[in-house]
Amino acid sequence: MTNEKQPEETLEEKINDMQREFGPLLEVKDLAVDFTTDEGKPIHAVRDSSFSVYPGQWVAIVGESGSGKSTSAMACLGLLPGTGHIVGGSIKLEGKEISHYTQKQFVSVRGSKMGLVPQDPMSNLNPVWRIGTQVKEAFVANHMDVSHEKRSNLSKALADADIQIKSEGDETFLGSKELPELMEAAGQALIKAGVEGDKYEKRMEYFHNEWVPGSETRWRVADDLIKSGVKDDDAWYIAKKYVVGSTTTDRAAGLLDEAGLPDAAVRARQYPHEFSGGMRQRALIAMGLACRPELLIADEPTSALDVTVQKRILDHLQDLTNSLGTAVLFITHDLGLAAERAQHIVVMYKGQVVESGPSLEVLQNPQHPYTKRLVAAAPSLSSQRIISYEEKGEDASAIMEHKVNEESLEKGDVIIDVEHLTKEFKLPRRREMFKAVDDVSFKIRRGTTLAIVGESGSGKSTVANMVLRLLDPTAGKVLYNGKDIASFKKDSLLEFRHHVQPVFQNPYGSLDPMYSIYRSIEEPLRIHKIGDKESRLKRVKELLDLVELPESVMQRYPNELSGGQRQRIAIARAMALNPDVIVCDEAVSALDVLVQDQILHLLNDLQTQQGLTYLFITHDLAVVRQIADDVVVMQHGKLVEHGTTDEVFMHPKKQYTKDLLDAIPGGKLELGLNLDHKA
Amino acid sequence: MSDITSKPLPGQERFVAPVDKTPLQSVDNVDESAPATSMWADAWRTLRKNPMFIISGIVIIFILIVALFPGLFTKQNPNYCNLDNSLAGSQAGHPFGFDLQGCDVYSRVIYGARTSISVGVLTTLIVVAVGTLVGAIAGFFGGWIDAVLSRIVDIFLAIPMLLGAIVVLQMFRTSSSIWKVVLVLALFGWVSTARIARGAVLSSKNLEFNTASTALGSTPMRNLFRHILPNSVAPIIVIGTTSLGSYIVSEATLSFLGIGLPSSVVSWGGDISKAQSVLRTDPMVLFYPSLALAITVLAFIMMGDAVKDALDPKSRTA
Repeated sequence: MTNEKQPEETLEEKINDMQREFGPLLEVKDLAVDFTTDEGKPIHAVRDSSFSVYPGQWVAIVGESGSGKSTSAMACLGLLPGTGHIVGGSIKLEGKEISHYTQKQFVSVRGSKMGLVPQDPMSNLNPVWRIGTQVKEAFVANHMDVSHEKRSNLSKALADADIQIKSEGDETFLGSKELPELMEAAGQALIKAGVEGDKYEKRMEYFHNEWVPGSETRWRVADDLIKSGVKDDDAWYIAKKYVVGSTTTDRAAGLLDEAGLPDAAVRARQYPHEFSGGMRQRALIAMGLACRPELLIADEPTSALDVTVQKRILDHLQDLTNSLGTAVLFITHDLGLAAERAQHIVVMYKGQVVESGPSLEVLQNPQHPYTKRLVAAAPSLSSQRIISYEEKGEDASAIMEHKVNEESLEKGDVIIDVEHLTKEFKLPRRREMFKAVDDVSFKIRRGTTLAIVGESGSGKSTVANMVLRLLDPTAGKVLYNGKDIASFKKDSLLEFRHHVQPVFQNPYGSLDPMYSIYRSIEEPLRIHKIGDKESRLKRVKELLDLVELPESVMQRYPNELSGGQRQRIAIARAMALNPDVIVCDEAVSALDVLVQDQILHLLNDLQTQQGLTYLFITHDLAVVRQIADDVVVMQHGKLVEHGTTDEVFMHPKKQYTKDLLDAIPGGKLELGLNLDHKA
Repeated sequence: MSDITSKPLPGQERFVAPVDKTPLQSVDNVDESAPATSMWADAWRTLRKNPMFIISGIVIIFILIVALFPGLFTKQNPNYCNLDNSLAGSQAGHPFGFDLQGCDVYSRVIYGARTSISVGVLTTLIVVAVGTLVGAIAGFFGGWIDAVLSRIVDIFLAIPMLLGAIVVLQMFRTSSSIWKVVLVLALFGWVSTARIARGAVLSSKNLEFNTASTALGSTPMRNLFRHILPNSVAPIIVIGTTSLGSYIVSEATLSFLGIGLPSSVVSWGGDISKAQSVLRTDPMVLFYPSLALAITVLAFIMMGDAVKDALDPKSRTA
């Protein structure tokens, strides 16, 4: 094959040929995993699941929670939780059957052959050890040679076809002890080669940035020197003299640097609590790649992170795995992300693989009804504002646009007016105050939806709490129907609460577990002393009907319902008093896409029927596109941009808004081409 | 992004599962057949299946019957003692024999149950009432109230319960009511319950449903009684049941030391104390009241454990 290589063959084709030659790295066939309940009954978590990963490839497994995607991946690593066990099928790693492996045998392949980047960066680092120590643990446990780079078979083969094979010694890492001498020698070599002035400074700075101890290899140092004009022999002489291997500490810092952590050597000496979520995830990536595994299993690695951080980390991970030739099995619930990152996609539903194939092809042209449903519900940028079915039926002119009460719009009927809102918090053990919200002003027109978008820490929820008068502003005010809500006392406050209702983020926390659903929905009626027992029962039934839940759930308790159902109950409770305004604080963020789509439609239908006004707090721009009329973008407590949804999405004015829009996974991809375009 | 037109690798061809293999279910539908389970119903179902609960439940019910109606089990008066029968072995109508004073051991064991149970139950009731009140106030109001109450709790916790009880009881040697023992045990026992109650109130105070309730128009006081306290009950019940047994032991210990109940009151602790002098010659006189005490305490502790398992929030699916 190598003999007939055509000169115009691209790198991609070359990789493709090589993948064919090597065969699959991981091959899962008809995998079946059971969990055993307390009663000894088996629960079929995964059935007939088959997929394969080739060297150097990104494969995504997508599905909703409980679809068996994580279970399938964990089975490959021998890390099934609790009572989980493999009951059938085969898992082959580099052609070797591993499904029957004992834990002891798995130890020999975990880390060195297969790495893991776990889901939750907050709980997967040990708080009592330094980050560097935890990275070191990864290669110490696998007896890694820390002074030499180890390359995957694919990258070796690629390099083999490309340049001369490098001898073992050329893969030696640079150590921090030799770095100053190396820099000096490099400087002298540059002068000797006649590099001077500005160019000299630039090259030296480049060396300074690139030559990271524990990450830079001898041949790269030599290569860099040669490219700067130093003669071959001199370059190799310097590289051989000063690049003589690294210590474990150097290597740990080098790995962290490769994972994209700035000031890695300093950072390696810090503890997890000094790291942000994104930095922790980078540390976990460094650990997953520490032993240069052929396959990296990434289980929702960025789900807990903000979109812009997610984009940066995944971009970096992609560059890194491409250069190392590492294959990635990527588990995600986000179709856009899968489409953007993976070449091959596997869609799982109820423990089975329902569709798989090249990712773009599958998502642009989904065949299985479940995939179709998933693609249709995925909030990607191309989707428009949801228009409720009623509106669609009414008259033709309203079809393309969400109907707002025209009359009130013309009058400019503003229901909530937020003026120069500022909130300061006192930080523990600090003198200065922390400004969570800094001079934010906006107006919400009656019958419309205003969305506040921002990443974590942007102060968006604080604004919501001030609008609900759960927090008092430090400065500025919130006007409801022209009246300052801070002036409301007992009765008028109760009256205000009657009209402005919340739906909170956490469907598991916002319902009292001791209350039956009936009591939960009835609570606002009781508090406001509305109706007698019978009329309240009638109202609760109406409300359940409104949120499309059967009456029978009245006797149930929150722990028996799913997240989406609980969120419906929370909406029913908020609707009980016929409010004007509903503040949704990340109301759909914890839900699966399909359920999220349902709830968004429900909210929109309710808005049309009842003329509700929404203040919608979210971190997800794609959701904003679906539900909001106006958008406020917040960053670090400040209002960055404010405009109609179309304006903000089509013509973002501020760089931050542009970054946010760019970071939406799969935002630029057109998915579901074969589906009827859902309005 | 790889070229779509390039041929897929073997094993990665386009695959679509037959629809009937994984039938689509409607999104997020409600299982209407499942039974409703409140926390209590759930806990009861767990308890019913727990053999530890069943055994300890039967034993406790039996002990309660004995304590309430001792006349059903023996016709002998436990205080009728005849020195002629001193240390006599078992005989018809006197299965456990007689003690040094010639009293019937069997009837004394039966009547002793009443004392132990009363002390245990009464102490627990007072402890739970006082402890919950103080703990709830501290946890709910926070600030300086919490600081003051918590320090008081700390001070009480620093005093060993038995030592404190001995010191206080020394002052009331003359009183012959069981209430003095109950009150003294409660005096030193409420603090642990207060601590637990404070913690439970603090954690349920910060749950989101309280904020939700406030936004619905509820007042803080209403939140406390309608949401926070009901959600804090479980740990308080658990500590109540488990400590009941330890109060019975403490009462027996105090009576054994001679400063608990006066000798005129029939109690296991007192009988054990009296039996020590004849331990070498007639160990059975010591054995029966000790056995009764051990079984009772064990039953309550087992019950406490079973209740803890059933009410443990971690075992409940969130």
